[in-house]
Amino acid sequence: MTISDKIIMHEKLAISVKKISKNYGGKNILSECTFDLESGSKTALMGANGSGKTTLLNILATLTSPSSGDACINGYSLKENSNLLRAQIGVLAHIPMVYPDFSPRENLYFFGNLYNLTNLDKRVDEILHLSGLWNRRNEKTNVLSRGMHQRLALGRAVIHNPKILLLDEPETGLDTGGLEMLKTLVIENSNMTVIASTHNNKNAEVWADNLLTIYKGKISTPT
Amino acid sequence: MRTTIIVLEKDLRIAWRDKAGWLSSLIFSAILIFIYAFAFDLAGTNSEPLLPGILWTTFLFSGIITCNQSFQQESVTGTLDAMIASPISQTSIFFGKFFCNLISLSIIQFMIIVLGTIMFQVNLINIEVILAIFLGTIGFVSLVTLLSAFEYRERFRAVLLPVIELPLLIPLLLAGVQASSSALEISNTSSPWLIFLGIFSLWGFLGSILLFPLVNEK
Amino acid sequence: MNFIKITIFKLNYSVFLPLWNSRWIVLPVMTSIFIMAMIIGSVLAAPREVIEGDVQRLMYIHVPSAIISYFAFGITAVSSAIFLINGKMRWDAIARASAGVGVLLTIFVLSTGAIWGKPIWGIYWTWDARLTSTLVLLLIYCSYLLVRNLGNANDTKAARYASIVGLIGYLDIPLIHFSVDWWRTLHPQRIVFDIRPSLPTEMLIVLAIAFLAIFLLVLWLILLSATTEYLHQQIGKLSGDLEQMEN
Repeated sequence: MTISDKIIMHEKLAISVKKISKNYGGKNILSECTFDLESGSKTALMGANGSGKTTLLNILATLTSPSSGDACINGYSLKENSNLLRAQIGVLAHIPMVYPDFSPRENLYFFGNLYNLTNLDKRVDEILHLSGLWNRRNEKTNVLSRGMHQRLALGRAVIHNPKILLLDEPETGLDTGGLEMLKTLVIENSNMTVIASTHNNKNAEVWADNLLTIYKGKISTPT
Repeated sequence: MRTTIIVLEKDLRIAWRDKAGWLSSLIFSAILIFIYAFAFDLAGTNSEPLLPGILWTTFLFSGIITCNQSFQQESVTGTLDAMIASPISQTSIFFGKFFCNLISLSIIQFMIIVLGTIMFQVNLINIEVILAIFLGTIGFVSLVTLLSAFEYRERFRAVLLPVIELPLLIPLLLAGVQASSSALEISNTSSPWLIFLGIFSLWGFLGSILLFPLVNEK
Repeated sequence: MNFIKITIFKLNYSVFLPLWNSRWIVLPVMTSIFIMAMIIGSVLAAPREVIEGDVQRLMYIHVPSAIISYFAFGITAVSSAIFLINGKMRWDAIARASAGVGVLLTIFVLSTGAIWGKPIWGIYWTWDARLTSTLVLLLIYCSYLLVRNLGNANDTKAARYASIVGLIGYLDIPLIHFSVDWWRTLHPQRIVFDIRPSLPTEMLIVLAIAFLAIFLLVLWLILLSATTEYLHQQIGKLSGDLEQMEN
């Protein structure tokens, strides 16, 4: 491979994970996970409960550091954990990560401000419309249904148009409107590289370009 | 600076809305004053020598309760993780929480001072006393903000955090009581307690800023 | 520069490494010899104190224990700082071990102080600056052990929290000492457990031997405890690896 081929390959890669391991409390949660994902690709991360999916996503989200190994996300090293790296990433976890005492609008404003977005008003309104929460935008989040919570969480995750989106079992808790929102904002967005952990293998085959299986902390079949 | 203000404004707004939280801290501190009044039989006796101790122990206990609340909620809702995953620095998160706790505790302290002045007929609204309280509170709030970021299960948190925090705050308590006694002319002390409070606060503040990012690693 | 590097290498190879490898023989033997010397010295060789009598002989274990407890907590603080910087669990093992030994030593200091104080001054406890500071230090490192024990040997979160407490606690010592000292000047009391510089030579010699004996004992205990802790960590890791292999 020539140097220019390598540069082109590097530019095409959104995420490059090299031998990431995580040991916690004496247990090997992840063992030397290595994989590359191209820009704009949609990857389903499949595995049983306790296989290490959430830990891997937490590492990529910079919420926890690996015991060894490194990853490169859009040219930024995970180990350096710079603000510029985190500005590119959006995260949707098991729990919605929104403030129950704030309305959907206030939640989106707060998180949008953290990312220093220009045209924040316009973006917040856009997300509220896309998530179907426009009519309930001023009510406190704690009175909303589980499905609405998850839609708001997804809105929070994508408000800054992240280049990389990490989703931890997004279908759990998402209602029909939420799944539609996921499809519009995420799956059909060719600028966004997505890794989503899922139990639903059949569904994953429909929307995912790549299927990564994680078993007992090891990536077993990168495709 | 901008991100600190964003976090501070968010916390103040939540504190204002979650009235149960700060109201219970406020009422708890008032109850403590009453408990001391009954326990030390301050009705008829000269309560002045005991006042600084009563004030500062009330500040300490109600301050610990107040400061512990904000991180508790963040860890339950997962919003602390959302902030950590965003481009703001952890120092901004710390400053935001610190200033929110400082404001909350200052309001409680003001109420305690007013209550103490009325109930014990001693003028506590005194520049030197307020300066001592202000200096001490900075050190106190920074240390307690740092330590309350520790993630523990609910059943441990309520007891464990005071067990960790209180021994570290003993110098602050001593200095605060003595500086207040001196300001109220209850005792004649030549030791520079105000300067000591300043040094403790500076040490607590700087240490907390440096160590805070290490607390949130999973 | 090269000369320094070569000298360090030679010293490591010829002195430190053999000493380290023979620690489980050298330490117990040396400690036993010095402890025996301390006992014989304090009970038989040292003269009887005129005013305080035989109870004063407690000085030979009380004073060195007090000073060395600070040393043990110092090891905890330094190891905690190193752990926070490089994340290597062996430093947490050392920190935890020395905190445990320090806490035991501190309880011993306070107990011997009480036993010494009662027959001479009729009191078990006095708010003496040093005693009070020692008690505060005991509380801080008890909370260190409490925090650390919430997780297992390999729990990095518990180790990190405990390290923060251990480090802040030690840095708090000068502040605790000054504040308590100034506080005590408001209520002057007899200074108890004072080491008068005019101690006879025999007493000073026994005190020096006692100091060395306690130091070696604490070093041995810390090494034993740290090694045990480290082995717990390795066992935990191996169990995890085995579980993975079996599956």
